[in-house]
Amino acid sequence: MFLNPWSLALSLCSLVVLLLGAIAGRTAVRVLRFWEPGSDSNRQIRLENEIWLSSTLVAYGLGFQIITLILFVLAADQFCQVIVGAMCATGALLANPFGMPALLIKLVGVFFYGFWILLHQLDIRSEHYPLVRIKYLALLLLLPLLVLDVTLQTLYIAGIKPDIITSCCAVVFGEDIGRTANLMTGYSQQGLLATFIGSIVVLGLLGGGLLQRWRSWLAKLYAAGWLWFFGLALVMITTVVSSYVYAMPFHKCPFCLLKPEYHYFGFALYGTLIAAAFCGTSPAFAGLVRGRKGLSAIVARYQRLALILSLLLLVIFSGLSFYHYLKYLISGGEG
Amino acid sequence: MLIELCGVSKIYNQGRPNEVRALSDIDLVVEQGSMVCLKGPSGSGKSTLLAIIGCIFPPTSGRAAIATRQLARLPDRFLTLHRRETIGFIFQRFNILPELTVLDNITLPLLPLGIAPKERKRRAHELLERFAISHRAQFPAGQISGGELQRVAIARALINNQPIILADEPTAHLDTTLSREFMAIMQQLQVAGKTIVIASHDPLVFEHPAINRTINIKDGRIHVP
Repeated sequence: MFLNPWSLALSLCSLVVLLLGAIAGRTAVRVLRFWEPGSDSNRQIRLENEIWLSSTLVAYGLGFQIITLILFVLAADQFCQVIVGAMCATGALLANPFGMPALLIKLVGVFFYGFWILLHQLDIRSEHYPLVRIKYLALLLLLPLLVLDVTLQTLYIAGIKPDIITSCCAVVFGEDIGRTANLMTGYSQQGLLATFIGSIVVLGLLGGGLLQRWRSWLAKLYAAGWLWFFGLALVMITTVVSSYVYAMPFHKCPFCLLKPEYHYFGFALYGTLIAAAFCGTSPAFAGLVRGRKGLSAIVARYQRLALILSLLLLVIFSGLSFYHYLKYLISGGEG
Repeated sequence: MLIELCGVSKIYNQGRPNEVRALSDIDLVVEQGSMVCLKGPSGSGKSTLLAIIGCIFPPTSGRAAIATRQLARLPDRFLTLHRRETIGFIFQRFNILPELTVLDNITLPLLPLGIAPKERKRRAHELLERFAISHRAQFPAGQISGGELQRVAIARALINNQPIILADEPTAHLDTTLSREFMAIMQQLQVAGKTIVIASHDPLVFEHPAINRTINIKDGRIHVP
């Protein structure tokens, strides 16, 4: 499936990002070996000049790699047109063993790449290069994830054959109709709904508490809460929210939401959730470098901004999640 | 503002076949409020030294500090800000935009600072009056004389009230009268407390009584006669 515009775009761009990562990896090794902030040596001055270019390129590369999550899902949605049995991205992603792992790694990557970009942004806001070593060590640790991301994506694209017969979302996520269990079998809608609402309230309270007075342990708890909520929200979207969006009680799919028939509702839903989860977890992450030279005020400012944004996005996400549900309850149907 | 250079070297195209060593192990201190002339033939490294002092680029090795801070090695976003606030440049060819009016040329350095137009004009008119070119304020810069152009360049270098003035061969395109006038203005600025570094091989500059110190540069090194 390489001779497809989506595949070509994804593969070529990922290769460019990988190349940038490899070049920056070389700089990372040099930074870890030779970085001496107080030195006036030729090597140190050259490194100072070099890290500007490589960090900027890596930041843009990783930023693009985050966007490939959207491209990847859109590509899968296109691939379903040539795969027998696939009706949306679900079928296309299950067409070979690499689709879902590739998606999962991309999703995990959004956070890790985002955290690296955050480190970079904090670093360049100080005059003293306080995070250069940490940033480049993190980059070296991130490279295997980037390689895995691109490898799985390439294997997935290479493994798509038009003669594959796959399952559609109705089989994968649909209600168990007594034949076989599927991915979402066993979840109680009422229980999920209660846990979901409870989690929103708890997150709101934790966030409010942090806004009142910043406490490091509370920020960590808030971040953990967001990780829990992120997973819960994905299950909730698939098992509860999607049915109301489709107005079909037995149709449960996390990907059909992204289709134009549903006004691309999924993009708003997932976009808000991912951004909110990132903003919710990043204050605790940024807190790890708060003690570095010249960063205290910069990190504190970021933490407050991210916290407010996460709460705001939580409200928007909750509104979007319950919109169709409430509409259904009020109008008594599709209305 | 004190300028301090310690073991400064500059190599262009380092590691390539066209490598050029422009400066070697320069140690130099310019005291606050003094006027120093960097003297030397063409290609001796005067302009490179001036560019390092002016934080246009960092040295290849060594320390170049202004008021104990190594400005040229600050991260880019801070460097621009500090350079704008600390250093005023007067270039050999003045680098005036001929299509803009004299007033617009002078206020140009204030644009990125977000200063209100009224304040920009106030500061510019103050300098125009000081250098006796108020009557040219609305003239396109391309239509004024060489001497006036020079004064516009000086006014532009001073508009942000920077404590350091750097001038690279400022009299190279001026006749004797205008060169003397230029030095008279520099003397006034020195009296006002500015630290001034002029790169020039013009005797009218380096023999001027206002110059506190002349530094001979030859083949990228400070040459002690």
